[in-house]
Formats: sequence, C-alpha cells, structure tokens
Amino acid sequence: MVNFLMLSFLLFVVGIAGVLSRRNIIIIFMSIELILNAVNLNLIAFSRYFQLNPDALKKMGLDPNPLSGQVFTIFIIVVAAAEAAVGLGIVISLFRNRETVEVDEIDLLKW
Amino acid sequence: MQLHGWEAVLFYVLAFSTLIMGVLVVSARIAVHSALFLIGTLVNIALLFILLRSEFVAGVQILVYVGGVMVLFLFVIMLVQTRAEEEAKIKLYTGQMWSAVVIALLLAGGFFFAMHPAQPAFRPSIEAAQETQSKQDEATERTQAGAGQAISTDTQDVGQALYKEAALPFEIASVLLLVAMVGAVLLARGTKQESEHN
Repeated sequence: MVNFLMLSFLLFVVGIAGVLSRRNIIIIFMSIELILNAVNLNLIAFSRYFQLNPDALKKMGLDPNPLSGQVFTIFIIVVAAAEAAVGLGIVISLFRNRETVEVDEIDLLKW
Repeated sequence: MQLHGWEAVLFYVLAFSTLIMGVLVVSARIAVHSALFLIGTLVNIALLFILLRSEFVAGVQILVYVGGVMVLFLFVIMLVQTRAEEEAKIKLYTGQMWSAVVIALLLAGGFFFAMHPAQPAFRPSIEAAQETQSKQDEATERTQAGAGQAISTDTQDVGQALYKEAALPFEIASVLLLVAMVGAVLLARGTKQESEHN
C-alpha cells in the first residue's frame, strides 16, 4: 500500500516539476496528464485497500464503498479527455494567432 | 495490501519503468518523444491497475488515454511547429527550476508528514490483508480447480456502483464531454471556416 502511495507521489512530483519548468505548452499538458494518472493510481490503491480491509474505517465511523475509488477514477479519465480536447484546441488557435507554443512568449496579459 | 512473490517483483519493475518514463516525458527535447514516453507511462500505470485487480479501469485507461487522448496529442504536436526545440541551442526550461525544486521538497515534506502518523495504522491491517489475501488465494484455487479459470467480477461491480450510486454524475459527464467536443471544434476551426459561417 505504502509502496503504491510512494510511487503515486513521485509521479505527482515529476508532473509538478514538468508543469513548472518546461517552456513548451504541449509538454506542460502532458505533465498535467502525469499528475492526473498519479492521482488515479492513488485512488485505485485505496480502492483495493478497502476491498481487502472492509472494516479499516469502521472504527472511525466511516463506511466507504470500496469501489468508489474506481468510479472516481473513471470520472477523472472522462474529465481529462475533455480537458485535453479543449486545451489542445486552445493550443492550435494560439499557434495560429501567435506563431509560438512557448509559454514565456505568451505574455499578452502580463502587467 | 502486501504484495508477495511475483507480484512484488512485477510491482517494482513497473514502478521503476514508470518513474523513468515519467522523468523522460518531462526532460525529452523532442515533443514527439515526450508523447511516446507518456504512452509508455500510461500503459505501465494500466498494468499497475491490473495488479490492483481493477481490470475495468485498466481497460478504460488503455482505450481512452492511449487510444484517444494520446492520438490527439500526437496530432497537435504534428500540427504545431516545434522543430526549433530540437536544436541544442534553444533552451527547454523556463527560469523556474528553483521554484520547481522548492515545491517538490515541500510536497515531499508534506507527504512524509501526512504518511508518518498513518504508518502504524497500516501495519495491523496489512496482516489482516494478508489473511484476506490468503483466503482469496484459496478461493481462487478452489475456483480454478472447479471451473478451470477464475473470472474477475470487477467490471460487473464497477458497473453496479457507477449506475446505482453515480448515475447523475455519469449523465453530467456525458453532457460535459459534448460541451468539450463542441468547444474544441469551435476553438480549432480556421479563419476561412469562420468567415464562411458568419
């Protein structure tokens, strides 16, 4: 369990580092996908944990459905697909208008 | 949830390759290479999902992410000109390496701060999980002895949970996808198409 959480956390940090450090907006999008997948891994790991230990949270008065992690993961995948479609549409129109995909050259709203 | 035997080996192999590929996604110079490494990462994570006995989500991950989203990414990379980055003199990174390192360290500290009190809580339950695991293994062996092959009911269970408890979010998600599709078409159409329709 802790191994899965560690892996998920490390993937999350890699994604954060990518978002913060790359200049190419497409690779920033890919790093966002990495972050989402780290979160999915976390959710699935907890879902499995609660499947194996149904009474893990009983003593705290909680009664989670062990499958809610998987359902939530499916919703995350749906929203990620929608986000990718809209985001890449924005990237294409941006490239048409500004001839660049580098985020530090897109400073129209900068003070 | 203690993995043992070949499962533990498989987990470490998959975890290692996932992390290596994730780092390569962020650090590759050519955008297409990044996309291909990301496909590898997503396939690895789907395999990890199978290791966690969630076959349905693994299948959805392969179909939607690798088959849909990544194809979209590759299309856009081909459409958008990123050839300049392939030359060594163009810088890849913004001047934010310091902030990235600081935030990663803060996240690491927060993670250990959050996980440290939870460690003893995981210990007894891990033993309980081993018992559950051994029971499950016995059940699986019984099923395999009886019916040849054990078939996971994971897809069935997820479907039940999805349509019983999350029916409204499911419908809202479908509307969201429709809106996203229309929005993407509107955003990405060319000026010629715009002048034709206005």
